[in-house]
Amino acid sequence: MINLQELRTRARDLLTKGEVRAVVGYRRGSRGMAAEPVVITRPEEAAQLVWDPSCVHNLALYLVEDRKLLKHRRQTPDKPIAIVAKGCDARAIVVLLQENYFKREEVYILGVSCEETGVFSDQKLMRRFGVNSQALTDARFDGTDYVVTSAEGEQRCAAREVMAERCLECRQPFPKVNDVVLGEEKARTLEAPFAALGRFEQTANTQVARWDFWKRQFDRCIRCFACRSVCPMCYCEECIVDSITFTVAPDTTAEEKANRVRWIQRSATGSENIGYHMTRALHLAGRCIDCGECERVCPVHIPLRLLNTKLERDAREKFGYEPGASIEVASLVSSFRDDDPNDFIR
Amino acid sequence: MHEQQQQQTQYEPKIVAFLCKWCSSAGSDLAGVSRIQYPANATPITVMCSGSVSPQYILSAFNKGADGVLVSGCHIGDCHYMEGNYYARRKLYMVSELLQFIGVEPERFRMSWVSAAEGTKYAKVVRDFVEDLRHLGPQDKLKAQRP
Repeated sequence: MINLQELRTRARDLLTKGEVRAVVGYRRGSRGMAAEPVVITRPEEAAQLVWDPSCVHNLALYLVEDRKLLKHRRQTPDKPIAIVAKGCDARAIVVLLQENYFKREEVYILGVSCEETGVFSDQKLMRRFGVNSQALTDARFDGTDYVVTSAEGEQRCAAREVMAERCLECRQPFPKVNDVVLGEEKARTLEAPFAALGRFEQTANTQVARWDFWKRQFDRCIRCFACRSVCPMCYCEECIVDSITFTVAPDTTAEEKANRVRWIQRSATGSENIGYHMTRALHLAGRCIDCGECERVCPVHIPLRLLNTKLERDAREKFGYEPGASIEVASLVSSFRDDDPNDFIR
Repeated sequence: MHEQQQQQTQYEPKIVAFLCKWCSSAGSDLAGVSRIQYPANATPITVMCSGSVSPQYILSAFNKGADGVLVSGCHIGDCHYMEGNYYARRKLYMVSELLQFIGVEPERFRMSWVSAAEGTKYAKVVRDFVEDLRHLGPQDKLKAQRP
């Protein structure tokens, strides 16, 4: 476990010295130990900060929100914004930097390492203990097991039983690009990379089975766009799949509005849902850093990670590309190699 | 049995073919002026480069009821814009992988390199495609269910 006091001190010092204008981090929520994101601007608020396995959110999203707000207010800040970032959050920031969404000096990465563990999956907690993180009062990792405290008293279980699926498949549980890292900086060697994807492919091993599976998933999508809203990579002001985001200026004529291309309708019907999810997966190809937030927030439990990790694995195996690894490299779709797969072309 | 056969012969697959202006479009033209016989099922859409074909075009074609989508461009190394087809290859590889992943028949999306001199190859690509699609039957997985 990392030293929480150090995290708070660092955040407080950054704010006291005026090196940053705000710190994005986690604080204890109103129920149980479940953490919630918080943006603090005063040094004394630093005491609220926490870091524990209930810090599931990808805070990189708030950097995007901040950027949008600044643009709207036509402000250019003179100081960076600090962010408490896990390994996956930092990879998201790397992708944003790679795409020049903001500059490196505009963000201060206060890295935290997940060390041997990761964050909780509320679904898995429910399955194991019958309660989610909102009913827990404490959780700690004692080196081999999780010891969780709830109304039932202290209970323990192996970490992997309650850890989020994506954390089990995480190669790099600490921020590689950072300004400071608290905790151990140790990469993992995985026994089963892309484990969830592998399991899916084993069970749905025919084309018909895959279609049956995905049809069932996509048919129940209600197009709430939660997956898009929670994704730090989905920062487009105008979203191609959602016509209500199309810009309407005072001088936009009715004809222009009517003639905007609507590639995908907003109706939550099977075909349009497939179009939406396929488009999203393709837009995230080489950009998705597998923070698993889309799957976590989905109200109808569509296993969206499967789509994203599928393309992540292809990018890795076929193009030797790892998302979020470096700011300098060209992105997946803006680069190519002579030996890219060619045998599917006639 | 006889009726079923008749239905099968009646079904004409619809293909949307995105052809790059510099090679494949000229190739299809050559097939035409050389009077090479090939099925008329493909609707050609000329694009400036195979690299300009967005995955959205492909999804949209399927959504609008295409039974198959063909993207054809210059051979690797011959792109009019030097490297457009390299980008296309990488991008559309992922589209084809994703289509297979969700259980769409892999034969429905096809890519080919056809140069301006390969009229016969273009005819063959379309002929093979139509043949394969005939076996698969109509595409209704990605097609919009609109009244």
